[in-house]
Amino acid sequence: MTSWKERLKDEIPLEMTKLIDTYEAQMSLRRQGKMDEKVFAEARLRKGVYGQRYDNGQRHDGIRAQALAYPSGDIVKGTDTLWDAPGMQRIKIPYGGLSARQLETLSELADEYADGILHITTRQDIQLHYVHIDDTPDLMRRLAAVGITTQEACGNSVRNITACSLAGVCHDEAFDVSPYADAMTQFLLAHDDVQDFGRKFKVAFSGCAGHACGLVHMHDLGLLAQTREAAGELQKGFTVFVGGGLGTVPHQAKILAEFVAPEDLLPLTQAIARVFARLGEKKNRNRARLKFLVAKLGIDEFRGLVEAELESLPQDPRHTAYLDDDADLAYAPAKAGLRLNGAPLPTGFADWYRSNVYRQAQPGYSVVTLHSPLGDFTAQQGFALADIARKYVGDNIRLTVEQNIVLRWVADADLPALCRDLRKIGLGGAHAGTIVDITTCPGTDTCKLGIASSRGLTAELRARLIERINLLPDAVRELKIKVSGCFNSCGQHHVADIGFFGNSRRSGNHKLPHFQVVLGGQWQQNAGSYGLAVGAVPAKAVPEALAALTERYVAERAKDENFQRWVKRLGRKEIKTMLKPFMQLPTFEENADFFSDWGDSRVYTIDDIGVGECAGEVVSLFSMEISKAESTHFEALLALDDGDYRRADERAYRAMLLAARALVRTKFLDVGDDSDRIVNEFRQRFYDTELVYDRFAKGKFARYLFKRHTQAPTRLDEDYAHQIIDETQLFIDNIHSAEQRINGVIVG
Amino acid sequence: MTTVPKRLAVKLSLARAPQLQPAHIVPIFQRWIQQRTVPGMLIDVIDYKHVPNGPGVLLIADEADYGWDLVGGRAGLRYIRKRALPEDLSAALRLCCAGALAAAQALEAEAPDDIAFDYHALEVSYLDRLRYPNEAQAAAAAQALLATALQEIFGAKPRLQRLHDDPRYLLAFRCVAGRSLADSMPAPALAG
Ligand code: SF4
Repeated sequence: MTSWKERLKDEIPLEMTKLIDTYEAQMSLRRQGKMDEKVFAEARLRKGVYGQRYDNGQRHDGIRAQALAYPSGDIVKGTDTLWDAPGMQRIKIPYGGLSARQLETLSELADEYADGILHITTRQDIQLHYVHIDDTPDLMRRLAAVGITTQEACGNSVRNITACSLAGVCHDEAFDVSPYADAMTQFLLAHDDVQDFGRKFKVAFSGCAGHACGLVHMHDLGLLAQTREAAGELQKGFTVFVGGGLGTVPHQAKILAEFVAPEDLLPLTQAIARVFARLGEKKNRNRARLKFLVAKLGIDEFRGLVEAELESLPQDPRHTAYLDDDADLAYAPAKAGLRLNGAPLPTGFADWYRSNVYRQAQPGYSVVTLHSPLGDFTAQQGFALADIARKYVGDNIRLTVEQNIVLRWVADADLPALCRDLRKIGLGGAHAGTIVDITTCPGTDTCKLGIASSRGLTAELRARLIERINLLPDAVRELKIKVSGCFNSCGQHHVADIGFFGNSRRSGNHKLPHFQVVLGGQWQQNAGSYGLAVGAVPAKAVPEALAALTERYVAERAKDENFQRWVKRLGRKEIKTMLKPFMQLPTFEENADFFSDWGDSRVYTIDDIGVGECAGEVVSLFSMEISKAESTHFEALLALDDGDYRRADERAYRAMLLAARALVRTKFLDVGDDSDRIVNEFRQRFYDTELVYDRFAKGKFARYLFKRHTQAPTRLDEDYAHQIIDETQLFIDNIHSAEQRINGVIVG
Repeated sequence: MTTVPKRLAVKLSLARAPQLQPAHIVPIFQRWIQQRTVPGMLIDVIDYKHVPNGPGVLLIADEADYGWDLVGGRAGLRYIRKRALPEDLSAALRLCCAGALAAAQALEAEAPDDIAFDYHALEVSYLDRLRYPNEAQAAAAAQALLATALQEIFGAKPRLQRLHDDPRYLLAFRCVAGRSLADSMPAPALAG
């Protein structure tokens, strides 16, 4: 057998074969320099083939920047992305549903083409890391042969459609959303109307309003299952939300339609896609998500445009064909549902049962959650798990947005045996869904945009919390922690009780990894509200800061007061005072450990700045000035808490001005305090020269200042205040980074 | 079946490691990048110690990864050759043995503990299910070829045992030789 292409030719659907062959041809053209690198990059991303850290050929080893001379030399697979550099392969798993055979194939690919690890993402995808691009066509063929695609897993496309992992077995759902998620996946995949977006488009289904599994409020398109009585019959339908999203500045989705019948769901989605493709921003990718279009037009105008689009939408039998196949997606249990029958229980079964077992709506059956730390499991665990699945539940496996795996339709009588079998393969740990079950993005481990080690921090917090889990009161056990390596929120830090996102600060002539502490987000109610940053803590101080926070919560919470309410009652001022001792920065000489990230022995650096010129006096001036901006930002937060949105806006704007002024004064001491002058000087010296540009977000953060400087807000409500405060935080972080870049940092 | 697999790995297991933890390995591998201790274009260190019996800690490089590998519950040093394999199986195997030996000896020298590898035994795995499926007939043919190739290295035929007969797992053999790999190969040249 000469190749996977030859071997699998009869097992792959023709459409998939064509798509993969086209991609392989594009790879050849790119290698020969006959395809533009940017065009190829988008084609590659739409196949889920992503870049990884150090793929620009530079790596700082903690002492110096080393050039990585890959064998293919300068050939790139995208701007600044060298051909041979290992990359990440994202694999779409619609609503997280997997069969045992699919799990085996994924596991085979992990230990053959990657590093032996399968990583579950917060979108129920699987990611493989350290994959060579030359291996990706075969990898895709082997996936296609078992019905999995990587098509449109990244890029400006419809990403993996997510849904509650309990869909179909949940007590609280209106109905099982899986068939609809499946139909939408099939319908939108490679559809003509979703090929011209300026940015990605994320869709989620949820079976109920109260729980978090579907997270519809933080999606471009969120579908919430509803039923209603009409003419004596119970009708199924969806409340449709649009324009939500996390990212740098989170937006809560708005209701587009209160109730959409199943037969109207796909046409409506297609109309939304057409409006987004036609009117969404294309040039400035930082404002190209649907949330910006909805915010710009207002929900009423957006709705009008969608309705007009619906009028002219051509008939398509696929809009409703799937409704007849409804039954095909009903999951049959592999075994009869039998209750626990008094068989001997393994030690620790009660703990495991309490946190990892959910009693299904169907009597005699349960859903079991397998806690995979940091979202990782090995190829060998994958094979063994496929066997366990076949033994107990057949193909009823799903991945969750909390980076775990669930087995559904477990007969209750099998729970003790299943618990034993899972323990043998290291997937039988208790505490799923508790404070130790921390969600994390890849961060600096593999992500090109990472600023701090989200995985390193998560591993550390997890290890410390597990040691004490049995001593923790329930109120703390139940808290959600989520960690992102940067402001981009892939770890969903906005919707955790306690979220962290990575940034950096300077002490003397060194940088330190930091995490912004984000408090008060709400996971329940489908990501019902977003938390706000209260201050940045050095990465190495985060465990102590977390302990202080949780201990005080336990000591002071009123009966039945949850974390969000406690945070609100305590107030940001008090919380900031509590965290202040942990925010102190040691000098390098005092505590060199603070200048390395978690799980990393290198002196911290996030890019390859190397040795710059140190301007000691200017640094201390800058530090003083930027701290004024930070405290003004904090006042904005307090104003938001008080419901004083006008003051929140005024303080946030002032904080941006102060931050810009701090940077301007490192070059031009006499800038004064006139806002026009500050903005002009800042623009000329740092924006037009691109000195303030973030490597990836470019001038986006600076434009937050320009926008607010030229336009007073047209509305002063909570949403607006929340947004400008978030933008201000990002602007201040951007000024910190720019100052470090411009004025130089000694890193070793 | 003289085809060289797309990827080939050799693992040396520990004979002794009283206290060594995967956490000790991360700084060592990071130092190897700084000091270019082992051959190859070294890129990154990734830590999977939170996953039981997994790849442990990996030093990712362009041609070959070095792993503090815990798969199968056996801690050891695994050299995974991914690219630029010689076209001849014996030469490829020799290259992998040399890579594993170099790294194991470097680790013995640097580990904060009195660790020692068992140089009489190796695990050889073929990361190529297309050319080397883990099926009885293919495994028998591969085993014969491997025995010959290892004989060239060790000077005598080693004892070989197929590690799994489950076709989902990589084709892999445990090889026990009468002589130490360290004595059978010229001292590996460590990059400095
Ligand atoms: S949040 Fe930042 S570091 Fe984490 S995966 Fe997203 S872009 Fe990367």
